[in-house]
Amino acid sequence: MIELNELTDAAQKAFPADALSPGRDESWRLVAEMGWLMVRLPEEDGGLGLDREASAAIHFEMGRVLATTPLIPAQLGLQAVLASEIAARVEWLERLAGGEYAPLHLLPAKLEAAPNGTLSGVVGGVFDADMAMAVVAKLPSGYALVPTDAPGVSIVERAIWDPSRRLFDIVLDGYAPDPALMLTDADGAAALHDALAPEAHLAVAADCLGAANAALELTIEYMKMRRQFDRPIAMFQALKHRAADMKARIAVAEALLWNRVRDDAATLVQCGAAKTLAAEAFAFVTEEAIQLHGGIGLTEEHPIHRFMKRAMLNLQLCGSPDLWNERTGREALG
Amino acid sequence: MTDTPDLEALRREVRAFLAAEAPTGWRDASRTQDDFVRTQRDWFTRLVSAGYAIPHWPAAFPGGGRSLAEQKVIYEELAKADCPRLLLSFVSTYHAFATLHECATREQQDRYLPRILEGETWCQGFSEPGAGSDLAAIKTRAERKGDVYVVNGQKVWSTMAQFADKCLLLVRTSSDGPKQAGITYLLMDMKAPGVSVRPIHQIQGDEEFAEIFLDNVEIPVSERVGEEGKGWAVAQATLASERGLTLMELSYRMRGALARVASLIREHGHEDDRGVLRDFGELVTQVDAVCAVADQFLDNRIKGIERIGDASIIKNSYSRALRAYAKLGLRLGGIAEQYVAPITFGDLNTGNWMADFMNSYAWTIAGGSEEVQRNIIAERMLDMPREPKAWVA
Ligand SMILES: Cc1cc2nc3c(=O)[nH]c(=O)nc-3n(C[C@H](O)[C@H](O)[C@H](O)COP(=O)(O)OP(=O)(O)OC[C@H]3O[C@@H](n4cnc5c(N)ncnc54)[C@H](O)[C@@H]3O)c2cc1C
Repeated sequence: MIELNELTDAAQKAFPADALSPGRDESWRLVAEMGWLMVRLPEEDGGLGLDREASAAIHFEMGRVLATTPLIPAQLGLQAVLASEIAARVEWLERLAGGEYAPLHLLPAKLEAAPNGTLSGVVGGVFDADMAMAVVAKLPSGYALVPTDAPGVSIVERAIWDPSRRLFDIVLDGYAPDPALMLTDADGAAALHDALAPEAHLAVAADCLGAANAALELTIEYMKMRRQFDRPIAMFQALKHRAADMKARIAVAEALLWNRVRDDAATLVQCGAAKTLAAEAFAFVTEEAIQLHGGIGLTEEHPIHRFMKRAMLNLQLCGSPDLWNERTGREALG
Repeated sequence: MTDTPDLEALRREVRAFLAAEAPTGWRDASRTQDDFVRTQRDWFTRLVSAGYAIPHWPAAFPGGGRSLAEQKVIYEELAKADCPRLLLSFVSTYHAFATLHECATREQQDRYLPRILEGETWCQGFSEPGAGSDLAAIKTRAERKGDVYVVNGQKVWSTMAQFADKCLLLVRTSSDGPKQAGITYLLMDMKAPGVSVRPIHQIQGDEEFAEIFLDNVEIPVSERVGEEGKGWAVAQATLASERGLTLMELSYRMRGALARVASLIREHGHEDDRGVLRDFGELVTQVDAVCAVADQFLDNRIKGIERIGDASIIKNSYSRALRAYAKLGLRLGGIAEQYVAPITFGDLNTGNWMADFMNSYAWTIAGGSEEVQRNIIAERMLDMPREPKAWVA
């Protein structure tokens, strides 16, 4: 059994804190070499068979360096195939564990079926579709692997503010789903969604909090170094108190994240709530961070804006805070 | 999380006890100070004999030595059964216990700890009119005369001092050197000649704390904790217990009390009001996170890990959640909450929303204010520089 701190140490060595957003393709190779693509693949299927805590720890470290490599959608794609009973399951799992990429899309699909069963429309929220051989997409007839080179499938990059990631739409135009690649039927789609969604929430939450910690560290460092009125600005209590609140927001969201990561009985809504708290904390920290940097915070050259942009995107992944707060409220109402 | 069989058994045991003995109608029986004190003493005695009053004490005491998971089960069940919070014995079972356990002599421990379980109550005499956040500025003087200290001065904001038998007293024995160096820690008998107590009326109509006047009070030297001039370090043990340990119980109580907000939502027909549901959901997550951070703190403490500032984070998070809780109730309750309704002495989550709102300030001010906790987080955790000390008026 790999110890959690070994995993974290290895991650910090491979992705040192001073190299933000290292190149995607090199990162992907590194990630594959370290076996992180098969962290959640059971040992009997040839994977590392690690639990949620291990994958969350990795996503946390990936957030810390604003990683460009799409580990979260890759993990979810693999878990979708893992849960399926397609004939080529074993081959697919081998390929995905070995470094090929079939991400789950993280934003809704808007598709229409023609009378002949072909599909047209958009599958949204596919990270790094340019390197994907297939996408795990929710079609009207269930979840399916959609090969990116199939007839009627094209990928369209959507420019996003977050410079650490690349987001694509998969555009279907009369695409005929391959029955051999259907991971679920229409009924099974809801069950798969409910199984994957908690994983997605916890992974994004970990990404948020790793990055929030790094943004806070950068900010504190800057405040100690920057002098105005003949003293470091870190000495001004008005600013210290804001830094203290940033720290507290992160610490509390982290406690809830690890609590839910370790709790196998945590419900989907509880995981959504943990993600919401983490993403809100990340957004709060980066919003403050820019202000505390002054003018330099608005420059392209200083990295702090990149944290803010990742935070704003993360807020919208897996459903908005409004949605999950409402669902949390409804569930607590009983 | 699901319980292990052992925890499940404990939960059943606590529930059975509560089903038989949990006080009902105690809110109505806590409308006056006297009734409140009677209810409190009675419930404390019953909890002690059942073994649930001091789960955080060591195993040598009946009802002590509970694991973190067991403590959680007990607090959860007490909160669910809506039992009175033990305010009268709060300082005894947390502050006095932690101070005696960590810093007192064996003899002092043997004398006082068992008496706490018999109902002896303590108060904390730290703050003074001129020494609040700047606690080290205390002026209450103790002069050594043979084998007694003769003490003169005034303490203020001392919770439940009007009912206390004993007092954790911080005094000045020297004015030389740094402020902290001249402080000594004494255990004072509240019935000693020269001690007088005056309750303070609070904005919500409660009288939770009191002033203590000390006029030539004699305290035996044997009642000193730690050495003369070393009281500041002992005081830190007292304060640490307040910031960390107590908040686990209070967090679980607040979680239990979320049901009050839920009933308010139903009462006012807001079940499908998405704005209200969002605000409620946000509060639920905030409270869950405070519980998680308190759990983590205790878990670490049991493993021997305690970082400076952790308790400050919990305290600020708890107190902000408590304020948010009260404000949501106040908002949903509307004008009805502006009519004076009877308060429940000593409780933080009573459903009298205006009173709860006012009471929530106790936690942003007492035990080191929110601002002081922020200083600690910034300076001690984030290593940000302190302000220059010198100041000339
Ligand atoms: C409900 C309750 C129960 C209490 N129980 C007890 C008890 O049992 N025993 C006991 O000894 N004491 C008790 N206290 C006293 C409590 O510890 C003090 O009220 C507290 O430490 C604040 O001191 P103060 O009231 O003098 O406020 P001040 O110190 O005068 O503070 C006034 C304001 O200034 C801010 N401030 C002060 N210094 C700084 C700084 N360095 N940086 C930034 N802001 C600052 C404070 O945060 C606050 O907002 C209790 C208080 C309350 C409210």
